[in-house]
Amino acid sequence: MNDAKPTRFEVVAVHGLLLLAVAFAVYPLLWVVALALSPAGMQGGALPLPKDPSLANFVRVLGGGGGEKAWLFATQTFNSLVVSLATAFMAVAIATPAAYALARFKFVGQRTGMRTLLATQMFPAVASAVPLYLLLDTLHLLDTRAGLVLVYASTAVPFAIFQLRGAFLSIPVDIEEAAMVDGATRTQAFLRVVLPAARPAIAVTALFAFMSAWNEFILAATILSRESAFTLPVVLQKFVGEHDAAWGPFAAGAILVSVPVMALFYVAQRQLVSGLTAGGVKG
Amino acid sequence: MARLSFAVIAALVLLLGAARARAETVVVWHAYRGDEEAALQAVSRTYEREHPGVTIDLLAIPHDAYSAKLGAAVPRGHGPHLFVDPHERLGFYLREKIVAPIGDGLDDATRRALDPAALAAVTLDGVAYGVPIAGKALLLFVNDALLPKAPPTMEELAALVVPGGYPLAYEATSAFFHAPFMHAFGARMLDDADHFAFFGDDAARSLDFVRDLSRAGAVPEEASGALVKQLFVTGKVAAVISGPWLAAELREEAKGLRYHTEPLPIVRATGNPMRSYVTIEAAIATPIATPAARAFARWLASHDAAVVRARRGRQAVTTSSAWEDPQIEADAELQSFREAARTGVVTPVTPAMRAAWVPANQAILKALREDMTAKDALLQAKHRWEDTMRPPPPPASPAPGLALGGLVLLGLAALALRRARAAGFAAELRASMPAYRYVTHAAITVGLLVVFPLAAGALTSLFAGTRDAPVYVGLANYLGILTARGGDLLGHGSFYLTLLVTVVWTVVNVSLHVGIGVAVGSLLSRSWMKIRAVYRILLILPWAVPSYVTALAWKGMFHRQFGAINAILTWLGAEPVSWFSHFSTAFAANVATNVWLGFPFMMVVTMGALTSISKDVLEAAEVDGATRWQRFRLVTLPLLKPALLPAVVLGAVWTFNMFNVVFLVSGGEPDGATDILVSEAYRWAFTKDAQYGYAAAYAVLIFGLLAVSSRVMSRRLGDPEAA
Amino acid sequence: MMANVGVEPRTQAAPSAGTSAGETPVPVVAEKPVRCAVRGVTKAFGTTPILRGVDLEIREGSFAVLVGSSGCGKSTLLRLVAGLEEADTGSLWLAGKDVTRLPPRDRDIAMVFQSYALYPHLTVKDNLAFGLKLRGTPAAEVASRIREASAMLGLDALLERLPKQLSGGQRQRVAMGRAIVRRPSIFLFDEPLSNLDAALRAEVRVEIRRLHDRLGATTLYVTHDQVEAMTLADTLWVMNKGLVEQKGAPLEVYERPCTRFVATFLGSPQMNMESGVLVTKDGATYAEGGGLSVKVDEDRFGSALTRGRKVEIGVRPHDFVPARSGAAACSLKVEIVEALGFEAFAHGWLRASGPRIIARLDAEEARRVKTGDTLPLAVDPTKVHLFDPETGRALDAE
Repeated sequence: MNDAKPTRFEVVAVHGLLLLAVAFAVYPLLWVVALALSPAGMQGGALPLPKDPSLANFVRVLGGGGGEKAWLFATQTFNSLVVSLATAFMAVAIATPAAYALARFKFVGQRTGMRTLLATQMFPAVASAVPLYLLLDTLHLLDTRAGLVLVYASTAVPFAIFQLRGAFLSIPVDIEEAAMVDGATRTQAFLRVVLPAARPAIAVTALFAFMSAWNEFILAATILSRESAFTLPVVLQKFVGEHDAAWGPFAAGAILVSVPVMALFYVAQRQLVSGLTAGGVKG
Repeated sequence: MARLSFAVIAALVLLLGAARARAETVVVWHAYRGDEEAALQAVSRTYEREHPGVTIDLLAIPHDAYSAKLGAAVPRGHGPHLFVDPHERLGFYLREKIVAPIGDGLDDATRRALDPAALAAVTLDGVAYGVPIAGKALLLFVNDALLPKAPPTMEELAALVVPGGYPLAYEATSAFFHAPFMHAFGARMLDDADHFAFFGDDAARSLDFVRDLSRAGAVPEEASGALVKQLFVTGKVAAVISGPWLAAELREEAKGLRYHTEPLPIVRATGNPMRSYVTIEAAIATPIATPAARAFARWLASHDAAVVRARRGRQAVTTSSAWEDPQIEADAELQSFREAARTGVVTPVTPAMRAAWVPANQAILKALREDMTAKDALLQAKHRWEDTMRPPPPPASPAPGLALGGLVLLGLAALALRRARAAGFAAELRASMPAYRYVTHAAITVGLLVVFPLAAGALTSLFAGTRDAPVYVGLANYLGILTARGGDLLGHGSFYLTLLVTVVWTVVNVSLHVGIGVAVGSLLSRSWMKIRAVYRILLILPWAVPSYVTALAWKGMFHRQFGAINAILTWLGAEPVSWFSHFSTAFAANVATNVWLGFPFMMVVTMGALTSISKDVLEAAEVDGATRWQRFRLVTLPLLKPALLPAVVLGAVWTFNMFNVVFLVSGGEPDGATDILVSEAYRWAFTKDAQYGYAAAYAVLIFGLLAVSSRVMSRRLGDPEAA
Repeated sequence: MMANVGVEPRTQAAPSAGTSAGETPVPVVAEKPVRCAVRGVTKAFGTTPILRGVDLEIREGSFAVLVGSSGCGKSTLLRLVAGLEEADTGSLWLAGKDVTRLPPRDRDIAMVFQSYALYPHLTVKDNLAFGLKLRGTPAAEVASRIREASAMLGLDALLERLPKQLSGGQRQRVAMGRAIVRRPSIFLFDEPLSNLDAALRAEVRVEIRRLHDRLGATTLYVTHDQVEAMTLADTLWVMNKGLVEQKGAPLEVYERPCTRFVATFLGSPQMNMESGVLVTKDGATYAEGGGLSVKVDEDRFGSALTRGRKVEIGVRPHDFVPARSGAAACSLKVEIVEALGFEAFAHGWLRASGPRIIARLDAEEARRVKTGDTLPLAVDPTKVHLFDPETGRALDAE
């Protein structure tokens, strides 16, 4: 394309449009930030300027400086991290071979499998929370992080299979065949050649699974019954009561919770682009 | 391969699953925060000191998850021994078998020590289910700087002039906050037979009265709790109607503010006092409550514990003797809390009351917005309530269902058999073996964790009644939904109308997601763009912040009086818009939020897909004489299609079921018009009398619709695979 | 940037070294108007210069081939003509119009890409129609041009297919069809045969030339393949390191390469090269060195022949002939004989430490020669090429 040297008008127009999009994307977040920085709350106006800015809300979220509470917050951060990482790991570990088989093999039940997967995405979760609880009860996994991971996996695995299947479809068959000609078994070809090629997609899939687990609170609050086992969003949600809500600390907490995800996004943004692409390609 | 994964998962489970062994403890759940939580912790520690061998295990649970958690845990025996909750859910809890008689938790001495009204609140049909510990009711908070003493009547209060502000603020659109007005006008929510009674002349006059307050600019429009607090803290309002929880928030957030509390005034028009609904918080026993748990409940109401709870937790305790404590006696604020609780009307405890709030809220909103007369709005609310409280469908014989199910199974078995006997099937199966090594564990995981719970959930759509004692009703739930429960097929809350809204919602959202995502993605993909990474990271930020926070931020931005959007509109010289009072604007607000949440995904997919389009082809088009726009429309877009299609299908499915945004931003306003099928299903399950079977039937219908339409869509868009 | 807008292209006052070098005067009478002209074009990607001042002229109806090794800038030059890249300095003229700053769509060009660049989402027919429709050509006209092109290229049976359903050769033909239907003022080809197998390549090569003769279309063709270059071109432009090294009719360039690069680039197997000096023997000038002693054509080199001058001696394998007794210019120690049936190549060396030398033999001679033989060879003085070892320029082109 001959856009190596754009006209000045084009440069201005493109940056103008992008800045507009950025404003749209960032503006509501600035309100969250302003709210978090305003210990006495804020109201009104077109500009998200904090009122009497201070970090008091953050201090409150982090346990008000008290040692025990701060320690609790650290424990809960750790819980969130463990649960989210385990969810991401489980999603990828289970979905990767299955997605590979769905992309590369022909087998009896393949179409049914794909349809079932798509169908699971269509069923509203409203009806399945109670049976899931029963299931965890049967497995004696209530009030455990493992149980929570299983519950999160129930949404993360089907999506991961979709995503990774697309990724595998976009990888040329040649490279596996070359590996097999060079003496690799199918499994070796998969592990040594295909997996490295699918790395961006796997990273993105893991990131998505991580994020969905990292932000969830209803199921976490339902399944976990010890404060020291809670994950961060549950803690965060405690700032919202029946009649009243401490929006300032809530916003501050939200920002604290988001920071790791933002950092991950920042690190993985390149993979995000190439990884998601792959998810889209159809065979 | 499969075995390896199994081992890994098993290890994971073992690693994380070190289940905790329970000691001899009393588990207590509560939703307290701040001072109340601290007081509860303090008295528990004291109790533990005085009763060695007993451990009190307190767990604070977010309010939003409280009911769901109790409902899931207690029937399975995993709940607490005691939980602290307002008394008004008792009727519902009893029906769901979540509570048990408190028995010796309330011995005679304790009963005598307690406020009789509070005691009555936790007693159903002569059986007490909990130990009342505190009462909460609405009262007047007055800003000292603006108003040293509130006038005796509401009319006088409303007539005050507060420059740049309001004399009064409260959550006018909430039935709970309207109740004092309702009572002052002699109306009530339920009659003696527990039927909806918030209609008729008196009720309508109470609404007309507050509408006039609003018209006169005496109260801000559609104020949320956060806004009320805000106005009060910033000195924009002389007095607010709120409860003890406001005092707790003010202690945290506005330490310098000088204010005092007073009883609610009298309405001069009727001469009646404004009596709040009173909530009695109680330590409620669950079926697994032990004697130790009941003893602890009893102790919570003891003098010593009550004094600590009153002093430290700022609770209007129900233990009479605590009020003789000199420090408490001298505490004007605590006294006013107690006074409000004593003079108020204890909230009825029947499930009928639970079902009354939503229709009442909507009627008040409509009357205040002057969409309808108060009378009509209330009459409509009565019909809504009746619709919710309609008798469950009659039990059906399971025989036809079982027979049909059996037939279907037989048919499937026959099909499978035929397939198995077909020529070459054995060879096919053998050829499939390597693949099975890769998919087995995923199949088991998905089957167990996804398909089974969904199927079980789908089956509940054939049942009605409580979760504890479901009644098989056949297809009655579906019939009810599809016939709009005998009402107008395109009337309020009908399946078809909601479906129409849902379809429009999905189409509009997905179009905008794709449109904006593709546009921004292509702009970002210009080869000369140097700061692409900066733009990209800023544009995907909406993704990184939990949507339950950002959705609420959007809701705040759309507030009629204080929202940023209207501030911008005003700045641009336009009229402010009352976003949530019309379908179109409320819908637009939902769409704006959801587009904001969803476009980064499409943008990233587009950017990825663009890199896979051959540069040569675009150059060929350029040589062929295509302008930039023609190249985009005739080459880029068609080539993006296959990459975008799966994202669009999944995106459409997610949008169709996007519960969060609708629920948090418009909340279905106005009057449920912007509800989509899944939020409607949610309402039936959680706010309309817990009709899980009905909600499940909605879920199954949603599933059916999506399955059929995605197949049609995929086929028409020429994607043979997803079909 | 060189301001050239609006000025008729004329031979510049100071023509660049590249073009002047091997230019042979062309008779003025038969000249057709210049259809495409490139004047002093430079182009750099970042700090890497790709084109370093290129001039080029293509007369109407002529078939110009740009040839050179990879990275010489030939594709970039083509893309500049197409308008896909913009020149840093210099100007481009098509049909007498300055198009330097015009986008491709305003240049009236058609291009066949190396990858064919067929629109994957369109059928063959729609691929052919694409450019015409963009220009608002009436539907009937579009149909008739497609019919014509399709008949010409034998695409009739493929019109409804998608590119992915075609073989490589078919795709190539569609790509050509897409250019043909446009009836552009100039056809641009970017290595169009490099993705085909050898047999197909030869076939399509002929077809391209036939089409050109039939359509009389002005053509600029880029290739690195010297066979394509030799067989297709009316005028050959040999590029090296961002400059045109020599232009001319293919045979002329082949026979009178003006640099060592051109000499070794054209011809297969490569021209043999030996270092040597000029000596005078028996009143004639000889080039001697590395076991080679050849008489040189004094008419050709003229005053460049100074005694004792160091030269590179170039002899094409095909210009060696078996020496009749006594007249041998050298003796080849045969290491291997490659017999191709109709001819053969003897590989060997003239001196133990010398460079490898290849000589062509005819089939008959080849039968008599074995490995280890010493083969006396002679060279026609007119076929001896001399180059300056420092500059690499041919002595007759200095």
